[in-house]
Amino acid sequence: MGDLVEIENLTVAFRSKRREGLFRSGPSLKALDDVSLTIGENETFGLTGETGSGKSTLAKVLVALYRPTSGTVRFLGREIDYKNRKDIAFLRQNVGIVFQDPVRSLNPSLTVKEVITEALIAAKAIPKKDYDERINFITKLVGVTKDLLPRRPRELSGGQRQRVSLARALVVPKKLLVLDEPTSALDVSIQAQVLNTLKKLKSELNMSYLFITHDINVIKYVSHRLGVLFYGRLVEVGDTRTVDIEPKHPYTQSLISHVLTLKQVGLQETVVSEHRPAPSGCRYRLVCPAAFERCATVPRLVNLGAGHLVSCFLYDHQPGKENHALLPTAAATGDDSRVPPHEHA
Amino acid sequence: MAVYNPGETDTRQTRAHGISSRPAQVAGHETESDEGKLLEIKDLTVDFVSVDGRVRILNGVSLMARKGEVVGIVGESGSGKTTLGLAILGLLDSPPADIVSGSVIYGGRDLLKLKPSEMEKIHGTGINMVFQEPLDSLNPVYTVETQIGESLKVQRKRLGSPVQETEAERKKVITDLLRNLCIDKPEEVLERYPHELSGGMRQRVAISISTIEKPTLMISDEPTTGLDAYVQNRILGMFSAQRKAGETLLYITHDLTIASQICDRIYIMYAGRVMEAGETRGVLQEPLHPYTSTLVASVPQGFEDAPPLSVQLGEPPDLRNLPSGCKFNPRCSYAKDTCRETEPKLDEIFTGRYAACWRVDKELGRFS
Repeated sequence: MGDLVEIENLTVAFRSKRREGLFRSGPSLKALDDVSLTIGENETFGLTGETGSGKSTLAKVLVALYRPTSGTVRFLGREIDYKNRKDIAFLRQNVGIVFQDPVRSLNPSLTVKEVITEALIAAKAIPKKDYDERINFITKLVGVTKDLLPRRPRELSGGQRQRVSLARALVVPKKLLVLDEPTSALDVSIQAQVLNTLKKLKSELNMSYLFITHDINVIKYVSHRLGVLFYGRLVEVGDTRTVDIEPKHPYTQSLISHVLTLKQVGLQETVVSEHRPAPSGCRYRLVCPAAFERCATVPRLVNLGAGHLVSCFLYDHQPGKENHALLPTAAATGDDSRVPPHEHA
Repeated sequence: MAVYNPGETDTRQTRAHGISSRPAQVAGHETESDEGKLLEIKDLTVDFVSVDGRVRILNGVSLMARKGEVVGIVGESGSGKTTLGLAILGLLDSPPADIVSGSVIYGGRDLLKLKPSEMEKIHGTGINMVFQEPLDSLNPVYTVETQIGESLKVQRKRLGSPVQETEAERKKVITDLLRNLCIDKPEEVLERYPHELSGGMRQRVAISISTIEKPTLMISDEPTTGLDAYVQNRILGMFSAQRKAGETLLYITHDLTIASQICDRIYIMYAGRVMEAGETRGVLQEPLHPYTSTLVASVPQGFEDAPPLSVQLGEPPDLRNLPSGCKFNPRCSYAKDTCRETEPKLDEIFTGRYAACWRVDKELGRFS
């Protein structure tokens, strides 16, 4: 698989609304912090993490709704300059997006057909006389029946609305489809139908998916590779099967172990502590059971082989870059400091 | 039958014909003694009346909860789960709601027949509800402390304790409660207003308002929907602690994986009817009703190369325009003529297991 999207050291910062004094703006908040990942052609890349981890920010950068503060995004080998209109047009031509909330993402005053046609007009990709043919083709594929075309979004059910969003995103052929929690607002049986449709579409239209969801069961079911975000940092990337069977980062481990399945009937005894991000160093160290002194610095992504990358000092045995500068806090100081498991042995 | 003209037929006749010709049946009713039974809903039918006509939201729902049990009500949107919860609490506005028939027995009394002043005494310390959207159930102009403190005061008053705590004591009780709900730095949270909190935090504040009154029965309506998995786990863990404390919980959800974790027994609802009921393990592992099978099959399992999920196509039911016969028949792959003509009634298939389906073989005790 060649790489369709290459994201390198992407950082997106938002300025805080709270001002410090009259002229000084408040501290900025990094929604994404030094994230690097690639999405291959015809690949489904699953991205997961809790609320506020920056999943949606990444999605919006890929359709140029947000600009990166630093870092580069390369699409089909072309580096995207977010200040250049042509580059943005190029990105939007090739990347489609489906949002979580099908109610708010469709114009309530347009009919389904108008919603889909609008995307065609904006793209200027095909002549007007071919519009109907293309709309027929795509609606049939995503499962929007003909009788829905003259209706308005409010007359549709949740599943139908999400299919319309899908048709709008794909009516102009795309290389990458960004799906930002596409099924979390849907009922379970409808979610299953939409997931089936998505899988079928991918094989027929030859494209890649960036699938964002916090539902691990869903992400396992759809994605080839999986990335885990924690407060703006990518903590683990790898083949879905590998990450699911052998999660390496303590955060991923806790994540995978808390997945609810139908098999375990009966109550699981879990008290999960608040996920408070650390202000510096490894973001997870305040809650991490394995945190030790080195965690006060920012860990780098370590390659464990076969594209399985993890950002944790437990697996970074190279000496040298230890304990620089940053002040140790909470878990990393005094009595609370712990020895990593492998040093016990 | 969902839409009908009250002038044409007698409401009660229609109901009796539609559901059952024999006395209303309550899951677990026959085999169990009345002991330990906390709540019993018998044959509850609720219509919503609007200018467009009547829509039947609940159709002959019977349900029972024993003391200390977690009972799940599972169904997709429009199945009447929330209406059921509101009906128990007497919170349905009338109009548009019209309770056509049925009874809700709690503590030996029919809640539907109580006066508002009597019902008020049951709210809070008796039956309590946590709603899906915490922003709607919290008062936007009061801080968290004031809101939790208020329900604490009310609870003390209800219990008739002459001594009211001092401000400091009350604050301590509230902080301890929030800390139990895994809220970090509760002292800071107390000062905040609902809009300053995250969704999960808000929901936990809403839950703490309900739990502080130590209700005998707590109804929670999708308390974790829209929250991410971590917050969800925390909230579920909290419910599990409550259950250990002997509280009865009615848990409304559309998520089978949650229901399988937390519920002792579940009721599967579809289009305002109970389709299947029984012990959680049995219902989820060997579903009798095709709708339950659909729900189970909808939970994604396996990896990317797994086969497509076997789900029957079709949209959720339109309550204004329900099919005749079994309401699930348009989406059911086993539907035959009988299913399209006559509606099956909820029947005890074997001890403690109920299903409303023509294809369930009573002798063999399984779906055929």
